[in-house]
Amino acid sequence: MSWRAIRSHKLRSTLTTLGVIIGVAAVITFVTLGASLQAGIIGDISPDDRQNVYGWAAPEESSNQGPLAGAQPVFTQPDVDGLSEQPGVRAAYGYTSIPTQSVGFGGERIPRQDAVVATGVDYVDEDEIADGRRFEYGQREAVLNPAMANAFERNVTVGDTITVTIVGGFAVNATVVGITEDSEARSPFEGFGPGPRVYLPLDPYYTQLVAEAQETPRFPAIVVEANSIDDVDRAKESTRSYLETESDAREQAEAANLTYELQTSTELLGQLQAVLDQLQAFVVGIAGLSLLVGSIGIANIMLVSVTERTREIGIMKAVGAQKRDILTLFVTEAVIVGIIGSILGTLLGIVGGWAGAQYIDIPLTYPVEWFGIAIAVGILVGVGAGLYPAWRGARTDPIDALRYE
Amino acid sequence: MNSTGGSAAVSLEAVTKTYMVGEPVHALDGVDLEIPRGSYVAVMGPSGSGKSTLMNVIGCLDTPTEGMVYLDGQEVTAMSDRERTRIRGEEVGFVFQTFNLMPRLTAVENVALPLVFRGISVDERRERAAELLERVGLGDRLDHVPNMLSGGQRQRVAIARALVSDPALILADEPTGNLDTETGENIMTLFEELHAEGNTVVMVTHERPIAEHAERVVHLLDGEIERIEELEAVGTEVES
Ligand SMILES: Nc1ncnc2c1ncn2[C@@H]1O[C@H](COP(=O)(O)OP(=O)(O)O)[C@@H](O)[C@H]1O
Ligand SMILES: [Mg+2]
Repeated sequence: MSWRAIRSHKLRSTLTTLGVIIGVAAVITFVTLGASLQAGIIGDISPDDRQNVYGWAAPEESSNQGPLAGAQPVFTQPDVDGLSEQPGVRAAYGYTSIPTQSVGFGGERIPRQDAVVATGVDYVDEDEIADGRRFEYGQREAVLNPAMANAFERNVTVGDTITVTIVGGFAVNATVVGITEDSEARSPFEGFGPGPRVYLPLDPYYTQLVAEAQETPRFPAIVVEANSIDDVDRAKESTRSYLETESDAREQAEAANLTYELQTSTELLGQLQAVLDQLQAFVVGIAGLSLLVGSIGIANIMLVSVTERTREIGIMKAVGAQKRDILTLFVTEAVIVGIIGSILGTLLGIVGGWAGAQYIDIPLTYPVEWFGIAIAVGILVGVGAGLYPAWRGARTDPIDALRYE
Repeated sequence: MNSTGGSAAVSLEAVTKTYMVGEPVHALDGVDLEIPRGSYVAVMGPSGSGKSTLMNVIGCLDTPTEGMVYLDGQEVTAMSDRERTRIRGEEVGFVFQTFNLMPRLTAVENVALPLVFRGISVDERRERAAELLERVGLGDRLDHVPNMLSGGQRQRVAIARALVSDPALILADEPTGNLDTETGENIMTLFEELHAEGNTVVMVTHERPIAEHAERVVHLLDGEIERIEELEAVGTEVES
């Protein structure tokens, strides 16, 4: 009988269901995107990345704002050389991104602001090179990742020469000596997503070109690689004490009142995850709000329906329907709307999540347990919204109802 | 059991129904009435004299402000709302002037409606409803919705519905009020048959010829019983 009532008010039922569909679809889409984003990021952190300590110096107020937030160029070559001698440390090197206008190859110029990174030899591991070798320090050499190498009409291969035009219009050449196996970010400094990259040695590209004006070139960031994952904490401690007591960076850091941010990739990931979680909570909150709006819609429409069917309620009561029967009838109606809305909403959400993941180019991960939650919530919303109108209907006095026109 | 109820199908003791609309309106004012089992009673009176209120009180649709109502010796005025609803569904068959059918349900479904709330299976419901529609002459209209039926046919459906629970008491509030004379006559024949089969029938009407089908006529005026007219035993009119 509930089903018949729903069918006989097609437009009204459709609109009500739509409220639930949109709410559930929104929740599922955003949750899917959130889960995909997180899975993408966590998947990107390779095991040998976990034994690295990432460091920069920044004013206190920039702390906890993510990698390189507020970083000042304070570290010198002697600093990283000294750091690599510290206990538990396998290698240490500087890191900076080089602000560029474009990357050129074979007469083609691709505008890129954030693709060029200057760092140490060990930044790219030997086994991450698919073709060729790593660059040598002090040489005009470059390593490209596939996303960069394939960005040109004619793919860049080992032995080719590329041109990097830095901000200010100054162009430098580099011989490509290696191509990496994938285009994932190689450290949290690059961000967490894949993208086209050119890796250059700090010397000569940073020390002689960008930081030319400075007496001693200083890097805004350092990477300290521990001997093993177990040594990470020791390496972090010895790095801190070295920076605070012996380094060239100390003087500038103290003068500008900077604090050293030393973080492992696991810690950075945790921070990022916290931010993502907040974002996710916010978005899911908004989606939840649309579910709430949907539920108010159901309640409103159910109230109209109860009023409209007052006479029918009277008839049913006159022939022996108990309060409970009327309550069941209307709640069932609301539940059917909730179930249909949830199922369609879930399907729409699955498609939405897929489309979103395609659009921002991240691998798709479906948080299946959330689908269950969304469907349950959709049905609960149906019941919750249907309860008051149903109770109103059940309470109707049969005599009044039969008189009702 | 109590002494008053005895064997009467319906027994009212000092039943009063008062509506407060600014000043109190006594729809029923101290009504005492006994309706023996198997009898056929007509209720007459001018508009507003309390006929419908009386029927609703007897049929457990309404509760009196004061006084007691017994159905088959059980005091329904002392029962819970739930109990009264059950009695209404199982022991009373109501026929209204305006038919009161569910517009979206077919004839069989309308007839079977009281059984839905008693948890009887679909097949059994349909079988019983079809049987009754057959009986009221609508065997070929089972799956018609009310607005595909004429007034007389609708009232037949309503009568079949009133009978579906095999009630002890059939109450009809102006069942022919919305029908033309000829159709009304047919419906009356149906009620007479029901009575002949041993059912207790109470019917409100304002048409004398219709009331004459009954054994007794209860005349109401301003919520009080003016007189009770015995039609079979000629000349035994009782002033109240
Ligand atoms: N819900 C109500 N509120 C106020 N007065 C009512 C209500 N129902 C009935 N009445 C009054 O009670 C009296 C009897 O009504 P009713 O039993 O319907 O009369 P009848 O059926 O004989 O025409 C009338 O005066 C009517 O106005
Ligand atoms: Mg009336």
